[in-house]
Amino acid sequence: MGFRRWLWILAPAAMMAQPTVTPSPEAGTRRGEDAYGYNFVNSWEIGYRARRLFGEETKYRSDVNFGNGVRLLAARAGVHSRDGRAKYFDQFVLTAQGLGNDPYQSATVRLERNRLYRYELGWRLNEYFNPGLAIGGARQGLDTRRRWQDHELILLPESRLRLLAGFSRNSQEGPALATFNIDGALGDEFPVFADIRRGQNEYRLGGMAEARGWRLTLVRSWENFKEDTRHRRTTPSEGENPADAIRLLGLRRDEPYHGVTRSWRLHLASGERRRYAVNGRLTYSGGERAFVADEVFTGTSRLAAERNRQVVVFGTGRRPVATGNLTLTLMPARRLTLGNHTAFYQVRMEGDAVLGEFDNATRLPAWVYFQALGIRTLVNTTDVHYRPSARVGLYGGYQFSTRRIRSRERLEVEGLEEIVPAEQSSRIHAGLAGLRFKPAGGLTLSLTGELGRADRPTYPISERRYDAFGARADYKAKTLRLSASAASRWNTNSASWSTHSWRGRTYAVDGAWTPSARLTFEAGYAKLHTDTLSGLAYFSAAALVTGERFAYRSNLHSGHAGFWISARNRVDIYLGYHRVQDTGDGRNAAPPPNRSPASGSAQAAFRAAQTFPVAYQSPLGRLSIRIHEKWRWNAGYQWYGYGEESAPFQHYRAHTGYVSLTWSF
Amino acid sequence: MIAALAPALLLAGYVGSEVCRSCHPDVWVHFFRNPHFKSIASGREPPERTGCEGCHGPGAEHVRARGGKENIRAFSLLEPEQTIGACLACHAREISRAAIRRSSHTMADIACTSCHSIHHSPVPQALLARRQTDLCYECHAEVRAQFSLPSKHRVNEGTVKCTDCHNPHGAQAPTWRMGLRPRMIEVAQANEQPCLRCHTDKRGPFAFEHAAVRVDGCEACHAPHGSMNARLLRRPAVFTLCLECHNGAGDFGRQGDGVRLTSGSHNMADPRYHNCTGCHLRIHGSNSSPLFLR
Repeated sequence: MGFRRWLWILAPAAMMAQPTVTPSPEAGTRRGEDAYGYNFVNSWEIGYRARRLFGEETKYRSDVNFGNGVRLLAARAGVHSRDGRAKYFDQFVLTAQGLGNDPYQSATVRLERNRLYRYELGWRLNEYFNPGLAIGGARQGLDTRRRWQDHELILLPESRLRLLAGFSRNSQEGPALATFNIDGALGDEFPVFADIRRGQNEYRLGGMAEARGWRLTLVRSWENFKEDTRHRRTTPSEGENPADAIRLLGLRRDEPYHGVTRSWRLHLASGERRRYAVNGRLTYSGGERAFVADEVFTGTSRLAAERNRQVVVFGTGRRPVATGNLTLTLMPARRLTLGNHTAFYQVRMEGDAVLGEFDNATRLPAWVYFQALGIRTLVNTTDVHYRPSARVGLYGGYQFSTRRIRSRERLEVEGLEEIVPAEQSSRIHAGLAGLRFKPAGGLTLSLTGELGRADRPTYPISERRYDAFGARADYKAKTLRLSASAASRWNTNSASWSTHSWRGRTYAVDGAWTPSARLTFEAGYAKLHTDTLSGLAYFSAAALVTGERFAYRSNLHSGHAGFWISARNRVDIYLGYHRVQDTGDGRNAAPPPNRSPASGSAQAAFRAAQTFPVAYQSPLGRLSIRIHEKWRWNAGYQWYGYGEESAPFQHYRAHTGYVSLTWSF
Repeated sequence: MIAALAPALLLAGYVGSEVCRSCHPDVWVHFFRNPHFKSIASGREPPERTGCEGCHGPGAEHVRARGGKENIRAFSLLEPEQTIGACLACHAREISRAAIRRSSHTMADIACTSCHSIHHSPVPQALLARRQTDLCYECHAEVRAQFSLPSKHRVNEGTVKCTDCHNPHGAQAPTWRMGLRPRMIEVAQANEQPCLRCHTDKRGPFAFEHAAVRVDGCEACHAPHGSMNARLLRRPAVFTLCLECHNGAGDFGRQGDGVRLTSGSHNMADPRYHNCTGCHLRIHGSNSSPLFLR
């Protein structure tokens, strides 16, 4: 296939499946310009993004969050030496997206001189806004910025002895809304403001050595993490229940923690020999965290008495983790592969904490003892993959895993103290089998099945008796791609009067057709079905209610379609539409009539939460016009519509769009 | 041109990349940007590990026959395991590829060239044949649907990539949960869930761990790709999520006598008790409260 043909097949593919309206996708590979022994390639897209919103802004910010303003919507620059032997660097590649003030920004840099060094940088920013849960009356929210950066430096990257150094930083900062409780379960909750400041720095040093085809990698790392979040409430509040006598007059809570995790990572790999390959990994990390919680509040109790409380907690938590992985692959014949993988994991959480509390209601100090928790897991998996011919493939596998959990817990619930040592072991046996068949050129049929049995799962929702089956058909030709898949998963976990069962089914069809180099259609539909039934036990007006069920049903229908056309490589147009709708159990906004306890709950709140009908849709269009050999003018529009049937105040409609110029060569 | 080559090379059937260039200028014209060009630039690699013939094998017969796919290693004709074998000749020693032979992709005949375009990659990372999300969505249509839900990780927006959490080359066995799933998960350094690499505040160590986080993982409560519900929760109302485990059913929990019931003082007929995390703020783990109250 000629180079130009390749470009045109790839170009529409890059144009498609763009769920957010910017940046404008690039078409093909550019030749760039040569100078000083280097080749320069550039593409910069600068534009203005606009938004007009109707409805609930907090929900829009949670889901989409694009705003107004000038942005560097996309950037890509590359400088490559023509002969690969430049003096200072042979490759410099920069990519960026959304810089300027988009809520989602990213950039990568790669700088390399062959045989001497390779440096890579990744940077990302995500503005995370969350208004809290719409159902349940939550008063918690976040308006934070999270930033990540990763630096990797490899010295002598093509030699048998390499040196590695790295640095990663992860931070989250911004205001938040939390809640504060007075008088426990009989009390009231108050909204308080928080200033979140979290950070983590990881430093890595290591080396890699190769001899006789084996590679040994050793990395030492130090991860420092800390949080200095503060909670404040300086204005009086009546709380969530103004009818009671509980009031919050002021609150100050500081909860800093600082910690470090020191780790060793060792990896030994044989490479792929004629008949076998061996990979082994050992890691040890010792995490340690020192924490303080300093809290002062003033207010009134539910008996309208003055209530002041001061709490100081300090202590240390430690968590040594040892892990190991060993993978052995045997290839006794070209069409037969045997694999065995073992994973070992042991974690122990231990430490101590001291709590000092002065309460003008109780005037008693209190002590908190650490809860120790240890988990040891061993997993072994064996796989066989056999291909009797190029058209048929068979595979199967078996996994055994065992886990032991030990804990020591001191509880103090409503005045009753208890120290509970506990140990629980569980094992699971799981099997996997699959068949792949290619009846004709371009068509592949696959079937998979998996069964698992656990003896003592830890939680009612854990896997106990589960199965998973799947089938898919894929067809690929030069201009057409079609796929269809169906999968089901089922798990049941019953004990005594309580039963938890979960059933999930997925159906999907997807396709793309490129009848010519200037025209592409794509469309797809997926249905995701979830059905669960869980035993309930709860207190209602101090009476224990048992024997009821909570049923949750979700029927998600998701469809998308797109159309791209290019006219004489001068004008590109893309039109697309996406809609997702959860039809739930088919009901409208009104809860169904009372059900019998065997099939549901007598509580209206449970029945209302059994389904969550929602519709979310987003049509979009994009136009790109070449106005000069190196310049393109772009414009795009995308509409977002969100509607909940159970909480109408969450609706929004948003018009978003952009206009931009792309300069590239 | 062949006659000008060293006799030893010709004897082994190698002709060198310069010869390939004369008939395949469309490949050569951009090849200086290709990571594989380093082997040519160094000039130190043996012929079977450098340039065109490093991947396509000796080209003398191909040149003598004036082209043809049958006389050279043409990847379009190779079976998937042959393609994987050819690439692993150089790329097998990375920890990220330790499980490639037993990965779900390999079992499904998804070979290297299904996702990587060695000569015509339009993206600057990893010689991918397309943008990463488009590649993954092509087969995982249900995942495309999940990332189009209102509450989701920002994959379509570009700040999160599939490979932040998944290893498409095959992963180590996860040591949270116990079955064969999840597969293809890129575990963090201590065989932890990948979620904890970014959400470090949930990682601890805490004085009081919510053991479900460690034992069954974040997926017990959250749908990591996307959800119709806020905070990627699996249920629209948080109290129903909690009560599915905290129902006292026997044989579960760390004591084997059930996961503790909610307190008798929690009147579930009162909407105040439907927002569990309103009071149990530190539900992922706490330093000072066994009940995760602060």
